[in-house]
Amino acid sequence: MKITFRIWLLIACVMLSLVAIFSIPPMIFEKGVIVSSVEQNSTIFESGLRTGMIITEINGQTITSIDDYSLAFAPLQNLGENETQKLTIKTETIEIINLFTKDVINDISVEKIPSSKIKTGLDLQGGARAFVKADVPLSDTQLADLISVSEQRLNVYGLSDVKFFKVVTSNQEKLMGIEIAGSSPDDLEELIAKQGHFEAKIGNETVFVGGNEDVTHVGRTGQDAFISECFEVEGGEACNFKFVIFLSEDAAQRHADITDELSINGSYLSKKLDFFIDEQLTSSLNIGASLKGNIATQIQISGSGSGATRQEAIEQAKIEMKTLQTILITGSLPYQLEIVKIDKISPNLGEQFTKQILLAGIFAILAVSIVVFVRYRKIKISFALVTVSLSEVLIILGVAASIGWNLDLPSIAGIIAAIGTGIDSQLIILDEARDKHESMVQRIKKALFIIVTAFTTTFVAMIPLTGFLGFMGIGAASAGLLKGFAVTTLIGITTGVLISRPAFADIAKQLEN
Amino acid sequence: MKFESWYDKNYKKLLIIPAILLALSLIYITAFYVQTGDIINKDVSLTGGTTITIQTDVSAQEIENAVSQTLTDFEVKTISDNAGNQIQLMITVGEQHSEALETALEEFLGYELASENSSKETTSASLSADFYKQLIVAILLAFFWMAAVVFIIFSKGKKAKTWAIIINILLGFFMGNFFLTINPVVSAIIFLAFATFLIRMYIKNSVPAFAVMLSAFSDIVMTLAIVNFLGIKLSTAGIVAFLMLIGYSVDTDILLTTRLLKKKESVNSALFGAFKTGTTMTITSIIAIITALIVVFSFASVLNQIFTILLIGLSLDLFNTWVTNASIIKWYVETK
Repeated sequence: MKITFRIWLLIACVMLSLVAIFSIPPMIFEKGVIVSSVEQNSTIFESGLRTGMIITEINGQTITSIDDYSLAFAPLQNLGENETQKLTIKTETIEIINLFTKDVINDISVEKIPSSKIKTGLDLQGGARAFVKADVPLSDTQLADLISVSEQRLNVYGLSDVKFFKVVTSNQEKLMGIEIAGSSPDDLEELIAKQGHFEAKIGNETVFVGGNEDVTHVGRTGQDAFISECFEVEGGEACNFKFVIFLSEDAAQRHADITDELSINGSYLSKKLDFFIDEQLTSSLNIGASLKGNIATQIQISGSGSGATRQEAIEQAKIEMKTLQTILITGSLPYQLEIVKIDKISPNLGEQFTKQILLAGIFAILAVSIVVFVRYRKIKISFALVTVSLSEVLIILGVAASIGWNLDLPSIAGIIAAIGTGIDSQLIILDEARDKHESMVQRIKKALFIIVTAFTTTFVAMIPLTGFLGFMGIGAASAGLLKGFAVTTLIGITTGVLISRPAFADIAKQLEN
Repeated sequence: MKFESWYDKNYKKLLIIPAILLALSLIYITAFYVQTGDIINKDVSLTGGTTITIQTDVSAQEIENAVSQTLTDFEVKTISDNAGNQIQLMITVGEQHSEALETALEEFLGYELASENSSKETTSASLSADFYKQLIVAILLAFFWMAAVVFIIFSKGKKAKTWAIIINILLGFFMGNFFLTINPVVSAIIFLAFATFLIRMYIKNSVPAFAVMLSAFSDIVMTLAIVNFLGIKLSTAGIVAFLMLIGYSVDTDILLTTRLLKKKESVNSALFGAFKTGTTMTITSIIAIITALIVVFSFASVLNQIFTILLIGLSLDLFNTWVTNASIIKWYVETK
């Protein structure tokens, strides 16, 4: 059999997809555990450990599984409050040697290295999804602020692998969407819908709370808010930021009364200004000595962010600054939140489900190949058709892996739809190729005409679900849940019409001649 | 060639059967609407409510007894693996009883429901109603735009094609922004005006294109009637199945239309050739779906519903393509 350009193209696409799915070198062969999150501002973070790194060795012990990892950390459990122990942690890129307290156990979370780059959606891997509505209509800025505040609050509770997104219903109501992968806290509902509460305290006394009653203005641009300096620290870089806020006279008076009592300690006052979100301490700022007893309506807030490189440190500082600003502006939210949808899916269920789907797929393909064999009585045709269909599945998965698409159930239904119409199209090509009324070129042309027409109809039928037509007011909210169906169908039928159908036409021509 | 001469004599009369079936389906759906207030039976994902899924060996009956002491309106579904062993139970209640159900279950089972041992899905009624509306809009638009593509490809004359594009884009804006958000009677009237205008234009300019639409429309309506008759409660996934059905159903219709309009041989030989290819396509799909359905059936997931609806729809498509569409297009080609 002659391998034409079109067939080569299909082979190349399948190869690229395999690389996109399994990466080079294949992830299956990687040893170690992958870091899924690192507590910021912890010793281990400052030592340079980051999310996504792969830990291969701890204190000379090779780490190949989560069990190895837990075992390596076990001795730290027995440490006292302030005791430390030296740890040597090797990742694929760096080696960390430092003294750690037993807090380090909770500062790092790790996972098994996934065997492929395919990401599955919540309904398959477990997790939680919630849609939250405010009792007043929100503007785009208010929604952005709500998301920012919620992000900060969930971080305070140690949830970092959280995705936020906007959802617009057809009545133009704006909702906040939240997705948390893996197991979720049981009190998630409370956590999301509870009011965020911000307080700035010195010692036990409240100086001001968030919201425009106490804070009249927060500087966000230009000389009112900026990154002031960057410097080297152990394990990377750190950057400081500064911004100004204006306090109401009442708040300024409180500030004066409280600071008047404090003593001066070097260039700062003896107590710090502590920020609390939902009664949890999030950051502490030194108060300049000159502010003692001062009725200052304008105060400067500073803080810092750190990272492995300067760029990373600047980015981190900007993020920290923005969060702080948002909290100061919004304070406790001026509206009530209501959860309109919450799905919590156990990770165990997803696993069983994935198995069922794979099984169903394998049996369906077997069935198809038998039917095709019965109809055409040629093992070669049956084999070619199934191979091309399987390569389509691979290409869809490859594209999904490279665009980082989360495969949820609707996405899988989409793959089924695309493969089903793909097989239909291949049967059309086969029958046209066998029809002896016209020349081969003409017959294949007719087959491709039918296929392109069928492709176009499915294409326009899927478009309303993708959310691309948001400007027409179509599919904004439901698209969030069924987008996967449209996306995988579109990927499948497009690669089909551009790559695998032309290749199959060449194969069919040769099989028939 | 006994069949061929019989077919040539009677193919027009054959159209009476689909006409009656379509009419019966429409009447049934209308009656269903009058009775229930909607054209489908909605499940919890479309009405709003709470579903708790627990992994347990406790039988459905025991759970039912326990829950019925505090709640009246609830449903228990058993999910088992391929060997028939129970894996999970799904308990569904209305949104307002979500807490009560959780408490009742925890009390009965004697442990706390957490993410390791259970799943919980809650959707408010208002949000569900919005999803439902958007899905209906998506289905209607998918159908109309599919029809427009078929029309543009098979009809002649630039003017009519341009009109088809403009009207369908306007329809998109209307469906996205006003349909069912403004007064329902007014929006229904505007929608029907759009539909009537388009259908008239399609019939006037291209009978083959109209035949494709009619066949797809019949597929959907008859499938919906059977789904309602079987008492299946549709979920969002079920609605996706109808979208898939539109895609599958037009494939064979387009094949048939192309073969007959671009034929080099006799009408019947082109028709029978198309029939052979088309039925292979549909039967392959049907067998693949039956196989997959058998594999996943006991798991009682959303896939069951998708596959069941596709199965019903594709079987009806065999009828609608090779009786309805084939007769119309043969008639058209022979009188031309």
